Amino acid sequence: MAAVAPILATQSLTRRFGGLTAVDAVSLEVGRGEIRAIIGPNGAGKTTLVGMICGRHEPSSGRILYDGRDITRLRPWQRLRLGIVYTFQVTSIYRGLTCYENVALPAQRGLMQGFAARFAPGEAKVAERVRAALEAVGLAGFEVQRADELAYGHQRLLEIAMALAAEPRLLILDEPTQGLAEGEIAALCELVRRIARAATVLVIEHNMQVVLELAERVTVMDAGAILAEGTPAEVERHPDVQRAYLGR
Amino acid sequence: MSTSRKVLALHLGVLAALFLLQFVLPAYHHTNAARIMVLAAYAAGYNVLLGYTGLMSLGHAMFFAAGMYGAGLPVYYLGLGAPAAFGIGIAAGTALALVFGLMALRTSGPSFLIVSMMFGQALYLATLYFNDVTLGDQGFIVSDKLAPLALGDAALGFHEPAVKYNLALLLFAASLAATLALRLSAIGRVLVGIRGNEERTRLLGYDSFRYKLGSLAVSGALSAAAGAGYALLFSYVGSTFASILFSIYPLLWALLGGIGTILGPLVGTALMFYLVDTVSGVTSSYLLFVGAALVALILWFPQGILGTLRNRWLPWLP
Repeated sequence: MAAVAPILATQSLTRRFGGLTAVDAVSLEVGRGEIRAIIGPNGAGKTTLVGMICGRHEPSSGRILYDGRDITRLRPWQRLRLGIVYTFQVTSIYRGLTCYENVALPAQRGLMQGFAARFAPGEAKVAERVRAALEAVGLAGFEVQRADELAYGHQRLLEIAMALAAEPRLLILDEPTQGLAEGEIAALCELVRRIARAATVLVIEHNMQVVLELAERVTVMDAGAILAEGTPAEVERHPDVQRAYLGR
Repeated sequence: MSTSRKVLALHLGVLAALFLLQFVLPAYHHTNAARIMVLAAYAAGYNVLLGYTGLMSLGHAMFFAAGMYGAGLPVYYLGLGAPAAFGIGIAAGTALALVFGLMALRTSGPSFLIVSMMFGQALYLATLYFNDVTLGDQGFIVSDKLAPLALGDAALGFHEPAVKYNLALLLFAASLAATLALRLSAIGRVLVGIRGNEERTRLLGYDSFRYKLGSLAVSGALSAAAGAGYALLFSYVGSTFASILFSIYPLLWALLGGIGTILGPLVGTALMFYLVDTVSGVTSSYLLFVGAALVALILWFPQGILGTLRNRWLPWLP
């Protein structure tokens, strides 16, 4: 056991879809404030694993501990209120709405405590949070722009702004650099590092350059199980990893 | 002018215009307008569920009918006064919506459509089956049992056109205010989120089932208020209003005016009302024209009239 209790721990977490075991008895520990990358070939079970952590999928067996507390049975909206925030692999913004409305939805969540506040959380406070989140990702001034009229890279940033507005303590990013140009990737790495000052970040990533640059530790998955874990340098040298993932 | 000012000015302006309209309309259109406002209140209730939550129902006549019978039966059998009867009608529709929602909201999309239609048909058949109470499709008249509304010293008889018109306007204004307030509230934002992407909204911290149930309850309450208002103002209660046609109508009205717009239901109801009125003067197969209008609408204006206006010129329109 580490000296500091991990913020997230899964114990023999398993998910079966019919005959297929997508995630097979995965036990993972993520330390507080860490940037952890999960890599692995397509179909390795990465998205299913984080899906169980944020509550999208129910585990077939196993447990999830968050902050020392068993959250295996909690519903997704309850987990968000504990600070577990997920951003989708496929951009899942509200296409017909403005950037402001997209970010206001998660931004008002924390303010809607109690009966009266549920109806009127106070638009001034919501607007303040929206402004801060958009500014953090570099989308200040895009408030009235419709989300589906944004360039693709900006849509990814909007997705992250929505996550930030929800005030994450554990932020799960599912392939955030997918489809981005080189310059945009560098800016995104910078953004993730900034976010990690206040939150733990769990990131699924295919781009090894990004993984090497960002992650403090890397977990390698293959066929639903953890193949290796360690610092980026250790993982890169691991023979099984080279075989399964890097194809060498 | 700021957006919220514009929104407020537009909607107050529409209500003021409806108020003034009663002084210039000839008698025939005067009655029509009162009827349109009550039916538009129904369409507005329907629109809460379809337009602002993304759930399409084909059984809303059950809520309209619950309000209609909930208000009409106590007047007819017990001689109850209009305000109490109106309250019972709304309560009946809201309770029905909650019970229905607890069962039907386990489904979504086409399954929800079909389940709602089955519940609607069940209620319709019940109004026929218990025809010694409801008088079935023959229905009953409430006006001879209904005491005039006492307002201070004045007694307002429901048969008087001015009373009819202004109570219908009051009902419509109340449902307009309710839907607008809901849309602009934090809860309305959540509902719009559920309409856009339910799973995403759940992962942003919202228990979507509770919001959908709440939306259905509001929708049922507004539909029932319209049904109760219809029974009291136009004096007739009958099972035709529980039939599938009265589940399809609010869908058409909302589609024509623009689903997910506050004023769409009024525009759609008025246009469709006069389309049916004009065409049925020429032929008895007026539903054919209604169908053709609907096909044209889906082909060229899938957003409805106000939805198209919003997309092209008025992005601030709620």
